[in-house]
Amino acid sequence: MGLLTKLLFFPLTGPVAGIRWSLGKVQRVVEEELVDDAPVKQDLMELQMLLELGDIDDAEYARREAVLMQRLRDVREWRERLGMATAGGPVRVARESHGKE
Amino acid sequence: MTEPQTVRTETPAIPQPGLAPPAVDGKYVYCIIRLDKPKDFGSVGIGGGQRVYTVHYRDLAAIVSDTPLVIYDPTREHVLAHEFVNETVMREFTVIPMSFGTVFRSEDDVTELLRSTYQAFSDVLDKMQDKIEFGLKVLWEREKVIANLERENDEIRRLKDEISRNIASSTYFARMQLGRLVEAALEGVQSRYVADIHEALKPVAVASRSNKVIGDRMILNAAFLVERTQERAFDDKVKEVSRRYEDLLMFKYTGPWPPYNFVNIKLKLEKAN
Repeated sequence: MGLLTKLLFFPLTGPVAGIRWSLGKVQRVVEEELVDDAPVKQDLMELQMLLELGDIDDAEYARREAVLMQRLRDVREWRERLGMATAGGPVRVARESHGKE
Repeated sequence: MTEPQTVRTETPAIPQPGLAPPAVDGKYVYCIIRLDKPKDFGSVGIGGGQRVYTVHYRDLAAIVSDTPLVIYDPTREHVLAHEFVNETVMREFTVIPMSFGTVFRSEDDVTELLRSTYQAFSDVLDKMQDKIEFGLKVLWEREKVIANLERENDEIRRLKDEISRNIASSTYFARMQLGRLVEAALEGVQSRYVADIHEALKPVAVASRSNKVIGDRMILNAAFLVERTQERAFDDKVKEVSRRYEDLLMFKYTGPWPPYNFVNIKLKLEKAN
C-alpha cells in the first residue's frame, strides 16, 4: 500500500523506494537461505540415494559429503550468530522455572 | 529458552591439543526401551567403538554411550554407528529411537529425561510393542514408462505419428500438445502406481506414511509400520508387487527400522553449556 502510494503520487521517489524494497527483500532471502538447513539435508539424502543406486562411488560420496557437512556447519554458525535455535550439541531437559517453551 | 546459548561446533574427529582433555561425562542417547536391569550392548557406540550401556529410571532405560560434548555431523560413518546400535537393541527390544546426534551432559540429565517424559515414553512403548518399520522407495524408469504410454495411449500414439510423418498442420503446436499429454498421462500413471502399491501393502501393515520424494526419479518414499509377526507376510507382499512392476519400477526396500516415522514425542530440551 505504502509503495503504491509512492508510485502514484511521488513518481520521482518511486524507483528509489523500489530499489530499497528489493534490496531488503534480497537480504531477507539470503538470510533465510543462510539459516535453513533443510535444503542441505535434502541434498544429503539425494547424495545417499546416488550412492545406493551405484551412480557414484565411495570416494565421490566422501568428497561431496564433506562439502555438505561444511554447509551444515555454516548454517549452524549463522543460526547461532543470529541467536536462533540449532540442532545437535549437548542438551538437557528444559527446566520448569524457565517458563513456557 | 532464556538467553541465546552457543555451543562449540568442533567436530569430534579433531581433538584440540593443548586444551583440557575432553569431558567424557557426556552421554550420547540412541533410544529408549523398557528394561529394569543394567545391560551391556558391547563396544559399538558412536565415536569409535564406545561401550554401549543402559541408564535407568524405574522400568525405562536409555541406551547410551560416553561422548565428549560435541556436535556430531550427520556423516555416513556417524549415522551408520547410530543405526547399528539401534538395530542391535531392536533385535531384543521395542525401541523409541532418539533423533541422530542427541547428547546429554551427564547421566543425571539422561535420568531427568526419563523421569520427566516417563508417561509419554511408557504410552508410546505400549503402542509400539512388537512393531517395526520398513522403508519403501520406488523409482521409475521414466523413458520406459513413456514408451509404455506411447504403446497404450491412442491419442499420444496418433500425435507422435503425425509429428514424425510431418502431416500435422503445425508441428510446433502438435509437439506442445504431445508434451502436455505425456505429462498429464505420467501424473496419472504415477498416482495409479502409488495407489496400487499402497493397496497391496495395506492389509499387512498397521500404518503407513508418505514422505517427500528424493530426486527426480522417485515416485514413492514411504514408511510402513508392521507387526513383527507380520514381517514375513509384508516381505512377501513387497516382493509380489515389485514383480508386478518389474520392467518399469525399481523398488528399494529397507528395514527393519526403529519406528522413526511413527513416534512423535516432542521433547522439551534446551542447550546445555
